[in-house]
Amino acid sequence: MKRTPEDRGTGARRHRGTGIPLALTVALVAAAPLAAQQPAAAHSPAVYAIRDATIVPVVGARIAGGTIVLRNGRIDAVGAGVQVPADAQVIDGTGLFVYPGLFDAGTTLGLVEIGSVPGGDDRRELGDFNPHNDALTAVNPASEIIPTVRVNGVTTAMTAARGGVIAGQAALIDLAGWTAQEMAVLPRAGMALSFPRIAAAQRGGPGAPRRSESEQREELDRQTRALRDYFGDALAYADVGARLAAGGTGTQEVSLPMEAMVPVVRGESPVIVEADNVEQIRGALALADSFHLRIILRSGREAWRLADTLAARRIPVIVGPTTNSPGDGDPYDAVYALPGVLARAGVTIAFQTASASDARNVAYNAALATAYGLDPDEALRALTINPARIFGVADRYGSLEAGKVANLIVTNGDPLDPRTQIRHVFIRGRPIPQDDRHNRLYQQYRARPR
Amino acid sequence: MKTTEGTGARGHGGTNVWTHGCAAALAAVILAGVVPAVAQAQRRPAQAPAPAAPAAPQQVAPAVTPPQASGPGPLGIAIPPAGGLVAITNATILTASHGTIERGTILIRDGRIAAVGQNVQVPAGAQVIDGTGRYVMPGIIDSHSHTAIEAVNEGTNSITSEVRVEDVLRQDGGSIYRELAGGVTTIQVYHGSANTIGGQSSTLKLRFGLPVDSLLFQGAPPGLKFALGENVRQSNFQPQPGQTRRYPASRMGVEELLRDAFTRAQAYRREWQAYDAARRALRRGQAEPVPPRRDLQLDPLVEILEGRRLAHVHAYRSDEMLMFLRVARDFGFRVASFEHGLEGYMITNELVAAGTGVSTFADFWAYKLEAWDALPQNAALMAERGVVVSINSDDDERARRLYQEAAKTVNYGGATEDEALRMITLNPARQLGIESRVGSIDVGKDADLAIFSGHPFAPGSRVEKTLIEGRVFFDRDTAPTLENLMEQTRRQPARQGGRPVTSAGGAR
Repeated sequence: MKRTPEDRGTGARRHRGTGIPLALTVALVAAAPLAAQQPAAAHSPAVYAIRDATIVPVVGARIAGGTIVLRNGRIDAVGAGVQVPADAQVIDGTGLFVYPGLFDAGTTLGLVEIGSVPGGDDRRELGDFNPHNDALTAVNPASEIIPTVRVNGVTTAMTAARGGVIAGQAALIDLAGWTAQEMAVLPRAGMALSFPRIAAAQRGGPGAPRRSESEQREELDRQTRALRDYFGDALAYADVGARLAAGGTGTQEVSLPMEAMVPVVRGESPVIVEADNVEQIRGALALADSFHLRIILRSGREAWRLADTLAARRIPVIVGPTTNSPGDGDPYDAVYALPGVLARAGVTIAFQTASASDARNVAYNAALATAYGLDPDEALRALTINPARIFGVADRYGSLEAGKVANLIVTNGDPLDPRTQIRHVFIRGRPIPQDDRHNRLYQQYRARPR
Repeated sequence: MKTTEGTGARGHGGTNVWTHGCAAALAAVILAGVVPAVAQAQRRPAQAPAPAAPAAPQQVAPAVTPPQASGPGPLGIAIPPAGGLVAITNATILTASHGTIERGTILIRDGRIAAVGQNVQVPAGAQVIDGTGRYVMPGIIDSHSHTAIEAVNEGTNSITSEVRVEDVLRQDGGSIYRELAGGVTTIQVYHGSANTIGGQSSTLKLRFGLPVDSLLFQGAPPGLKFALGENVRQSNFQPQPGQTRRYPASRMGVEELLRDAFTRAQAYRREWQAYDAARRALRRGQAEPVPPRRDLQLDPLVEILEGRRLAHVHAYRSDEMLMFLRVARDFGFRVASFEHGLEGYMITNELVAAGTGVSTFADFWAYKLEAWDALPQNAALMAERGVVVSINSDDDERARRLYQEAAKTVNYGGATEDEALRMITLNPARQLGIESRVGSIDVGKDADLAIFSGHPFAPGSRVEKTLIEGRVFFDRDTAPTLENLMEQTRRQPARQGGRPVTSAGGAR
């Protein structure tokens, strides 16, 4: 790094005039450890209360003048008549709003630091089939990007490698923790698969001759067959393994990739299928039918063509980024309007940025969709309870309800509004310091004499 | 990576819609009796640039053609008739120069704003756009774009000041239309950042569907794109086997190259000055002096030295911005803007002293090493300390949502909403020397306006109409939308939504 910020841990805030009593702010920040990455320290108080705030629990009606109590990492109580415990650190929420922490349902967080610097880029492994790779293995808990994302309200993210056809297991992580394992909500959240497509088959590196349409089609068919064969092998491997486990005689050589595929073909682990055009989506549905897979679609640019089918089959779609251009010949609003179309058809949607440094913008991705037909309440669900349901953690995440993990944000307005400031972030019941890289540099250079 | 800059030429996968729509568009223009501004436009020769001082607003064609239907343009979208008398009534008007006007009316005559305020009478015969519940802001100015050109980088040589954006313009159907649909009306089109001196930029208005020369913003001062840093020294560039690396490969070499180029330009200028002096002193009977050899590469540099062309400098790091400011000081010219300037917040004192603006991203960062110290608070902090700041796209997609990008500065660093609005309107206009024509809603300025369904910074707001000189170039009411396409698909169930395989598909 070129510069060492000198005001690390001094409680630098990025916002002017927050309305929060200074003493309280100092107390909160002082309670936080010096390290930027780790909000939780054994000695910090474990009970917090935010009182007199507008609480938007997402599941259930919004609560005016409500209080929420966090104890030992969980939501202890939430409601209008909740008493502030005597042992709680208190935040006056007058004029502020409390929301569940936001999800980015598809990122590369922790896997890449500076895009052009290969040494910090673990997004891609060689080869087409790497089901035994775990994204969590490569998540760098000390990534400087992660704190910049969480101070903007994102507390939980799916992170996955890309590249090849099966890139490996995605992880669901909370954006705080001393180690990647500590950050993990689900070390294995689903198998990340990119459904073969023409555009991918066509890539031949710079200077490579463009292939004819029929050659591209052949290549696509080859890749699709290879994918089906791979699942077929996995099914056979699982079958043999089950027979051996049931006392059958014989042996089977252990294959780590195949071992990783067993929960997938047993329907225990979902497959997160990146598919954009209607052919890919149909291919993904056919694959799911053949092998009885539980699938989650990702990206799904042309999913509107199959919205009713997806709704009927209860296949969720992780949409976005909405900061993509429409495909050639698509209407100008195709990307913005898609989330609303799917939601109205009854599809469960969540939002993704498919990025690391851009993950802090996931709510603004949703905002673009609300301008083109997505109900704002549904947009909020698509950033909270929907992804929690999609990943099977809605019993612990995605809403402000007693007993759930205390991931929440305190704001001065709608989190979809880019003007809104995130005043406090709690992950697992601990306050997150606002001393991310950007706030540190901001405070440092704001203090430069004129 | 989403940035369209970089060392490689940008690919253009899509078919050029313009080639199909050209004839129809031209015919429609002729039928409508509209003389495109271009028809009178002189291609400005490199030897004789216009003065850098913002020109007085030009006379538009005096004949007012009443609105009338015209034929379809690219994407099957009608080309708007020339504006006559247009009124936008009962709207919330964000002027960018003098605050917000509630329930206001904007009267447009012959493409210019004739009146704005709460008590503006709408003359009989005016085309009325009901602005009830709507917000009107100045058309967005994207001060760093690569839209509408066939080629981005002449990447073979690090000094290519001779090449011109205006020579490679194209009616880039999809991108131009989508940017209009994001409220953008004016864009500054640069070469890429492969070269230390990349080429001559053009300021365009997004007159979608009209002949390609109609895009030129007549009267805008000419510009020259410089670039510093990683792209110029090709640090993220893998040379092919047998290929030698191009000079310069370090920030030292970049400075040397600049000083060398301007030194040559000074000498070249002196040759011309001597020639001019000799001609002036010529006495009857003496032989005519022989003019120096015209150098198309040095001509634009001389114009920079003489203040007749604006210097726009792609730079990320503060140290290299300071380097360029030293070069500019030593050669006696002003830098109009640093483009990107992600570390501008570190050197606000120096930027203010030099009178140099910065055109930056809202929060795009970490895509390369020189973007590692970027801050989302950069724009607001620079503005707070007196720098003229604009927010740009550098990307056909980001250009569609500059209103949202600008809004982020209210959160990050606490810019006021007016400041944030100016970052995509009046401030880029000032950086480009076109603030007498566009950038705010004031009487006498071009009627380049974006009409939003709600406050442009609020989530859920979208662009309903975009006007350039009073002509509605984007209209949500008649735009082809996903809803329309779904309706068509429902009516043609046999096709099952199958998509033909095309080589143009896929990522950009």
